[in-house]
Amino acid sequence: MSSHRRVWYPYVSPFDPCPPIKAKAYSTPPSLFLGYQPPNLEQFTPMEALKIGTLWKVFYDPWYSPYEVSTEEDQS
Amino acid sequence: MKQLPKEFYAAMEELQAVDFVLVELTLYLDTHPEDYPSINQFNQFAKERRRLKRVVESMYGPLQQYGNSYSDYPWNWAEGPWPWQI
Repeated sequence: MSSHRRVWYPYVSPFDPCPPIKAKAYSTPPSLFLGYQPPNLEQFTPMEALKIGTLWKVFYDPWYSPYEVSTEEDQS
Repeated sequence: MKQLPKEFYAAMEELQAVDFVLVELTLYLDTHPEDYPSINQFNQFAKERRRLKRVVESMYGPLQQYGNSYSDYPWNWAEGPWPWQI
């Protein structure tokens, strides 16, 4: 599980029509904590950046589903 | 409709990658106007994009209109394949 991941636990009511989802995960991308972006951050190559959607390594925040083992190690 | 050569796809992907970098740098430079190395990088990529555009357009035809791309003879910007067909 990526370290950006946080979990919250919705209230389970006896009148819920469907089986409850006990834990719901959400991602807190690094851009939330970075504030003003410092200059000269490390970058990806253009081809990599195009594929993963960000130019700067610090903002890389992949969403791996729990069933999908995260292939590369997490750079956070 | 004319078939596109194989090299077109590699060149097009590279052009898209350079375009993406230019978009990212533009957004970055909007908030960091004094960042000299990034402006240098932006200008290098802008220059690189002009070269790549010539390469892609030599195989594909005009990419943009209203003077942003040179036209071939005859006037064929409306002919396929369109971007969603390549």
